[in-house]
Amino acid sequence: MKKILIVDDEEGIQILYQEEFELEGYKVVSALTGEEALVKFDAEKPDLVILDIQMPGINGIEVLRQMKSKNPQLPVILSSAFNEYKQDLGAWASDDYIVKSADMTALKEAVNKHLKK
Amino acid sequence: MPELRKDPVLGRWIIIAEERGKRPTDFIIAESPTTGGFCPLCPGNESTTPQEVLAYGRQTGQGANTPGWKVRVVPNKYPALVIEGELDRQGEGLYDKMNGIGAHEVIIESPRHDDVFADLPPEQMLLVFKSFRDRIFDLEKDDRFRYVLVFKNFGKAAGASLEHSHSQLVALPILPRKIFSEMEGAISYYNYKERCVYCDIIRQEIQQEVRVVCQNEHFITITPFAPRTPFEMWILPKEHNSAYHHENDSKLVSLTEIFSESLCRLDACIPNVPYNFVLHTQPLRSDPLKHYHYHFEIVPKLTSIAGFEWGSGFYINPMPPEKASAYLRESLERLS
Repeated sequence: MKKILIVDDEEGIQILYQEEFELEGYKVVSALTGEEALVKFDAEKPDLVILDIQMPGINGIEVLRQMKSKNPQLPVILSSAFNEYKQDLGAWASDDYIVKSADMTALKEAVNKHLKK
Repeated sequence: MPELRKDPVLGRWIIIAEERGKRPTDFIIAESPTTGGFCPLCPGNESTTPQEVLAYGRQTGQGANTPGWKVRVVPNKYPALVIEGELDRQGEGLYDKMNGIGAHEVIIESPRHDDVFADLPPEQMLLVFKSFRDRIFDLEKDDRFRYVLVFKNFGKAAGASLEHSHSQLVALPILPRKIFSEMEGAISYYNYKERCVYCDIIRQEIQQEVRVVCQNEHFITITPFAPRTPFEMWILPKEHNSAYHHENDSKLVSLTEIFSESLCRLDACIPNVPYNFVLHTQPLRSDPLKHYHYHFEIVPKLTSIAGFEWGSGFYINPMPPEKASAYLRESLERLS
């Protein structure tokens, strides 16, 4: 079973994503901060990461940079409420950028595409 | 006493509110530590960027989107405006709108991650200026676009989010308001005096020698009479030319020399100062304009824009340009 690491400082988002992606047949682990995400990244060896950008402590762009240094091939999807973070060229290291929405179709499509479901 | 000064092109007023004894060292900027890690702009990571639209420096036979380049231009991976589609201009009552068509490209100025633009070897910096010219030429063929704005953000305070040295360009289906205002001001001056306002500025600055930072055979750097920020500089060709992309290679060599010198002088005054530079040139597919003169504006990020500036359009500058240019002129001599 493919494993997804969800990084988001909002617990509600984590629960929503966890339920949706478990229904899709994935194993889900989650982290509330960038620091926790980096620890779980090493420990859990996920197949894909869904990463929020604006978080207390290390922000998502910095987490992305560190994750890609360790494993450039690992798909990382940035998921932010704000479209304007697209203008941050640091986001280029990601494999997709999805603006958060109640309709999770785009996010699910991106996850399935990168995990070749 | 503070002084109000009017920009002769835009008609914009600024306030010179000199703080007594203010010196360049009062603006010292903390050096940002390099964070390292994965960089999508570094050689070897070409697959993480969209397909390149221009690259210089590869040996014959090396494929596109592979290492070996010296300067590389790629579309923005997550663009604010998209390249494909029609403009579909519409009116909704008194409101105008159109599709968000445009091009947003990133110019990767060096393959070396830690290079700083101001310190690039002349032959490397020349390639950057050539890439600006060649991309404008290419984008001019697309009749959906009316203007190409080239700009650079250096330092986090100026909006740069990646350490790897890069500049950007945006091709727009409309003429930006600021350029339109410059054109209007320049036309108005030309209609009255039958001379280009920028040519007159250059003539007067050379004659007065008060706000000249440096010059060479083809270019001059000045601190403008009504600058928005301390140490703002303009680089202008001495010979009248409204179109940057019509410059030949030898002029770009000269431009490279003065640009490098101007930025080195700025850095010698205020090490690591964040800055933006923009290229203001004529609209695409325009015939040469007698009233307009292309130029670069270098704007250090040393003051903040707050309510008064937003509300009035007035900038408050604590450093008179005459003093700034004196510091900039003496800066390299002090170091040597």
